[in-house]
Amino acid sequence: MSKEKIYAGVDVGSLGTKALLLRGDTIISHGLIRTGIDTEENGRNVLKVALDNAGLQWEDLDYIVATGYGRISAPYANRTVTEITCHGKGAHFLHPKTRTIIDMGGQDCKAIRLDEDGNVNDFAMNDKCAAGTGRFLEVMAATFKVGLEELGPMALRAKEILPVSSTCTVFAESETVSLLARGENPDSIIKGIHHAIANRVAGMFSRVGVESDVFFSGGVAKNVGMKAALEEVLNARIVDPEYDPQLVGALGAAVLAKTYATREANNGANNRS
Amino acid sequence: MALTTVHKIRDRVEKRPLELAAAREKGAKVVGWLSYAIPEEVITALGLIPIRIGTGGDTRLVEIGSRYISTKNCVFVREAVGLFAENKDPYIVNSDLVAFDAACLQLFRTAEVVEHYFKVNTLVLGVPRNFYWPEAKEYFWHELEHFVGKLEELAGVKLDPKRLAASIELYNGIRESIKELYRYQAGNNPLITWSQTYDVIHAGYYLDRAEYAALLRELLAELKDKQGEPVISHTYGEARIFLSGSVIPPKDHKLIDIIEQVGGRIVGDDLWSGLVPHLNVEIKEPTVKGIAYAYLSRVPHAALPYLDLKTDERLKNLKGLIGAFHAQGVINHTLRYCDPFTFKAGETKEQLKQIGIPMLEIHTEYAGSDFEAIRTRVEAFVEMLRNLDYQEAV
Repeated sequence: MSKEKIYAGVDVGSLGTKALLLRGDTIISHGLIRTGIDTEENGRNVLKVALDNAGLQWEDLDYIVATGYGRISAPYANRTVTEITCHGKGAHFLHPKTRTIIDMGGQDCKAIRLDEDGNVNDFAMNDKCAAGTGRFLEVMAATFKVGLEELGPMALRAKEILPVSSTCTVFAESETVSLLARGENPDSIIKGIHHAIANRVAGMFSRVGVESDVFFSGGVAKNVGMKAALEEVLNARIVDPEYDPQLVGALGAAVLAKTYATREANNGANNRS
Repeated sequence: MALTTVHKIRDRVEKRPLELAAAREKGAKVVGWLSYAIPEEVITALGLIPIRIGTGGDTRLVEIGSRYISTKNCVFVREAVGLFAENKDPYIVNSDLVAFDAACLQLFRTAEVVEHYFKVNTLVLGVPRNFYWPEAKEYFWHELEHFVGKLEELAGVKLDPKRLAASIELYNGIRESIKELYRYQAGNNPLITWSQTYDVIHAGYYLDRAEYAALLRELLAELKDKQGEPVISHTYGEARIFLSGSVIPPKDHKLIDIIEQVGGRIVGDDLWSGLVPHLNVEIKEPTVKGIAYAYLSRVPHAALPYLDLKTDERLKNLKGLIGAFHAQGVINHTLRYCDPFTFKAGETKEQLKQIGIPMLEIHTEYAGSDFEAIRTRVEAFVEMLRNLDYQEAV
């Protein structure tokens, strides 16, 4: 009996680099590191972490797909695919009823629509600015002198939403500082920030529409306050993630690694016959 | 296989600025123009040299232009103002008069700005907001008569009916050749790409029009010889893309380069810097009135309001061209603050969805800061189109 093949997905994002390994259709390991300057090295390092966690060697990998903004510097990969396609496949793998994805990563935000097979049939992406991204929330956390992971619970604790008019990172920061100086409740300000982002994300969905089930992926999806704000603004329930939402892109890349490896093997067999 | 005529056209364009300066020294007059509704037929018939001006992709010129015109105007308009401010572009330097039309109101404002700040000799052709009313046709006919009168003053001659008829014939020939060229670039195993074809169209902005017409005929003959009659169909995995939306002028390569880099194949466009000005121009009589009526029957510029989607000629033309070129998807390119095209993007997407054509919106300007974000979107769109092929195949 031949050994089951190992497929790897590597997602080099702007803030985090992720890798995930599949043995057949089973997730066996993952790695997550902070993105550094050398994009190629980030990919190799995170794969090493995932391999170590699984007790495997680089030579055990049968097919690698790289994604994320760093995919353009991934000579170790057999193929590169955009994170839009990968998030579609990853979300479909975890929750096959997914028809809409909100992906909020370190430097951008995407609205993705899927068909019943997890194929992307429409998408929209935020333009240029950092609003609605992990970077924006990092800046806000620094302004409040709290950890990034504390923002969500603070927003949920708030008794009211204090409107924050700007989603421009720089303007929102100065507006927040003014509100704090005025003695406003920090939890309410943070809830206002989350709602401002959610309203901006809703603008993207006016282009592609929302259909249940809605899946929330990317690093920001770990933020419970953001999830609650999006559910309220989009008037849709977001499914509870069954796996780390930050790893959905890497998972989709691993799923596609299996697809391409199988397709190429079949094409090779057909060509030989 | 390299096309000899494409190289020849490129060489001729490089030499054109010096030729133009020399022609002016001998007394020739040059009419530069910007926008959509200027009929070159009358400029050529009066013995004037028409040059379509305006470039894109230069953030430095945009910044210069922004000192004189509001930053709430699109980058093409701001770069145009920057070109006038800097006054180094050989076609602007050599223009005796610059004509604008009022289809796009930002360009109308450009005329006012360059006249005020840089004392440019400008001439504006009024354009009716509605192309279809009899009163609108009457208005445009008289606007064009006034426009011709001003050009006659510059040329020092009256418009001669025989020369006008000859000029119309020349431009009809150019239009037919360009339509034929588009069939070749969209064909199977083409020897000319869409971007090369687009460069050939832009060569027609500058070259002597009789020479340009001859070069187009030569290019078509070369293509017929080397490629054979074009057969247009869709081959598996091609990702055939149709470009729509705001102007993509000479030197603005950002989106075109990205599409080609990620493996998409552009097979057609309905850009007013591309194919569209050459479509549906049927001049029934060789007179100013005949030209005015024919120009109003073309595909309208998006800046002209038209609210009935079922009878919208722009959408009808878009759908027709998508079918003719066997495009699988549309990339709708809009420049920031090019509101007419930007505002129509949503309804265009919805209309195309109804005929099973996906559309990707790219909203951008000339700065390179969104290059990677656009590449991701375009690449994902190409992946999506290829996946549709795959699904169909299995």
